[in-house]
Amino acid sequence: MSEYLRFEKICMEFPGVKALDDMSFGVNKGEIVAFLGENGAGKSTLLKILNGDYRHTSGKIFIDDKEVEFHSPNEAIKAGISVIYQERQLAPYLSVAENIFMGNPITRGGFINFKELNARAQAIIDEFGLPIRPETPVRRISVAYQQMVEIMKAYNRKADIICFDEPTAPLTDAEITILFNIIRKLKSEGKAIIYVSHRMKEIFELTDRVVVFKDGKLMGVKETSQTSEPELIKMMVGRDIGDVFNTLPRNDKIGDVVLELNNVSTEYVHDINLQVRAGEIVGFSGLAGAGRTETARAIFGADPLTAGSMTLEGKPYHPKSPRQAMDAGVALCPEDRKLEGLSLILTVRENTSQAILGDLCRMGFVNFHKEREFTAQSIKDFNVKTPSMEQKVINLSGGNQQKVVLARWMAMNPKLIIFDEPTKGIDVGAKSEIYHMICEAAKRGVAVIMISSELTEVIGISDRILVMKDGYITADIPRAEATEPKILSYAMLDKKKNQEEVAG
Amino acid sequence: MEQSTAKRRGFNFKQTLKNILRSESISLVLAFVVIVAVFSILNKNYFTSRNLISVLTSASLTGLITVGEALLLIGNHMDLSVGSTAAFSGVMAALLLQQGLPAGVTILTVVAAGAVLGAVIAFCVTQLKMSSFIATVAMQSIMRGFAFIISNGEGVLITNSTFLKMGNFKFFGLSFLTFPIFFMLLVFVLFGIILKRTRFGREIYIVGGNPVAARLAGISIKFTTYMLFIIMNVLTAIGGMILAARMNTGQPQACVGLEFDGITAAILGGVSNQGGVGSIFGAFLGLAILQGFNNGLIMLNVQSFWQNVAKGALLLLALTFDYIRQKNRQKAK
Repeated sequence: MSEYLRFEKICMEFPGVKALDDMSFGVNKGEIVAFLGENGAGKSTLLKILNGDYRHTSGKIFIDDKEVEFHSPNEAIKAGISVIYQERQLAPYLSVAENIFMGNPITRGGFINFKELNARAQAIIDEFGLPIRPETPVRRISVAYQQMVEIMKAYNRKADIICFDEPTAPLTDAEITILFNIIRKLKSEGKAIIYVSHRMKEIFELTDRVVVFKDGKLMGVKETSQTSEPELIKMMVGRDIGDVFNTLPRNDKIGDVVLELNNVSTEYVHDINLQVRAGEIVGFSGLAGAGRTETARAIFGADPLTAGSMTLEGKPYHPKSPRQAMDAGVALCPEDRKLEGLSLILTVRENTSQAILGDLCRMGFVNFHKEREFTAQSIKDFNVKTPSMEQKVINLSGGNQQKVVLARWMAMNPKLIIFDEPTKGIDVGAKSEIYHMICEAAKRGVAVIMISSELTEVIGISDRILVMKDGYITADIPRAEATEPKILSYAMLDKKKNQEEVAG
Repeated sequence: MEQSTAKRRGFNFKQTLKNILRSESISLVLAFVVIVAVFSILNKNYFTSRNLISVLTSASLTGLITVGEALLLIGNHMDLSVGSTAAFSGVMAALLLQQGLPAGVTILTVVAAGAVLGAVIAFCVTQLKMSSFIATVAMQSIMRGFAFIISNGEGVLITNSTFLKMGNFKFFGLSFLTFPIFFMLLVFVLFGIILKRTRFGREIYIVGGNPVAARLAGISIKFTTYMLFIIMNVLTAIGGMILAARMNTGQPQACVGLEFDGITAAILGGVSNQGGVGSIFGAFLGLAILQGFNNGLIMLNVQSFWQNVAKGALLLLALTFDYIRQKNRQKAK
């Protein structure tokens, strides 16, 4: 009970998913604790519970041995909790000083006292040793300093618990050094600090303890000085659904090249070369933001190419819109099925028939009889668990929502289908069903690209694995040679110099 | 095995009953019945065929607007310029007729003008990325201005008897089946079918419900948006001409606040102002409630200023219901 901040048996359930399961650990004052885990392991969910964004289903949070419960982010801020997100929450047209004092400006007679405000802001800036001026509008300073402003805002609120959610992603090495100095300063002042990151190097450089998450469960808490990178990676990836992959209906007949990309670049990815053959499953691995989704968007005609060319079944292929990609026989199951894949307020029937609605129409009129027949068959084929086809999709579990997306796209008989994080936020049972469906698609001769952040999944399903980092493909590994440490090292290790040579 | 099927059937039956009771249409019909009953008690002349005809006639223009706004709202847009556009269309038709153009040519010209206007708004919304709210507020001022400019600020008399039939033609000589009433009912039925039964209708729901998903599903948001605004403005142009024919004049100051009535009726009828939800049948019930209520206030000789207050309150009430429905949808399990 001695830790300053304590989580006890925290559980968080979303419909159909257990996002957090029985989490118990604590953070001391003057300590930096890292949260480590794959995407979707539950790190962000826990932060969102801590800052009052979500309400946990059960369990307790203690601060200074007093039980607390936050109903809104505002309550959490008042209790001394600040979460610094990657997307900075600053007002870009206001000055540095105004942003630092956002929410509690210094006023005299109801007017903001700018002189006093700037002086006090300058004092904080000096304390942090930063070369910025309080009067400068925030949009004029670099991303790194904007983040510093965010930290000073938290500092000024006298926050005792400060959480960083992947703060270094947009920063350069020099800026990271400044950030780390500041975090160490906060630590020396006795703040309790939570640091979420994928980057092993930073975790070992900065933190005192590491909390490892996997699938919403706590895998362990380690003293940073007494653990090693391989040990942490092993804890992170765990091993509990390995058997699933041994029973998959594998396709052993790989056919001709379906899709080929030659030196393709877009605004986000650079110099992508790849081939996908009929019946082949190509896995895309890499960290979030490595350019996997962006490559998929280029193939699907959602982002324009800036260089390079694509061919589909040997013919030039340059889709200007998703519609053209679909007409050419390319389908995409997007990463965020709720935001991008489904119309949640419409029914299972309306969502399932969407891709082939044209075929179910006569002179623009929907043939309801045919549509119902088709939907009933899809529900059966893809084992969608729904009380009826008129159920609104929002009421289905994550796994069943994903099956609806799958059913929709498979109905158009695609030549190439791209799955972006097909099992994100889905429970283990539904996952194995979706793996089967992906393999079935390959068996039917469809070329498959599967983007996934789950290493076990990528290795278990793909025939070949492409690893991406910072918008480049860094490795092409056949399944037989793929191991988790090998993929992780290509996805995480700095190879900036090599890539610059290639690009230049 | 048998038992479990029976059980499931029983459950389904109960569920069906619940759905009917919870269904929005039923509660709207009930609200309408209550309004009619209350006003009938307060005024003997309310529940008469003569008054019904007067309600239907005054609803004929609002009805066209309600259909257009309902479609736009489902597609997550709205058009606040229709009152001005209706007035402009009436004046334009009257002026063209004065120039000696035949009725048919006049009607087609004004309809084409409406379509162009709709396309202009859609261009602002899709290409210039304006919100439809702002774009159509601007258009409201522009069209009202033009209505006054082309008419020199005065009503323009219409004498073309063919054109006037748009206002007074009676089908089968029935006084409750005048052209305005018939056309409104036709538009409701037509777009009810289009929205529910055609691919275009389905795409309006998908675009309004989740535009990102719609684009990634290969639906052209641009096409849908253009069609929605063109439909709205063509209906407005026809509505404006029907009104001018009924009044024998094109009045530049007519139809102030018309968009307001259309939007209120649609939202009252269960069309969500967040897009993706609603039906034309619901919008029709919303229109019935709005018109029944307005007419009741007139029959009770309520001062017209208070009618404005009452209409505004009705819109707030409709939005509150919409908010409650949205919350229910989110937690529905």
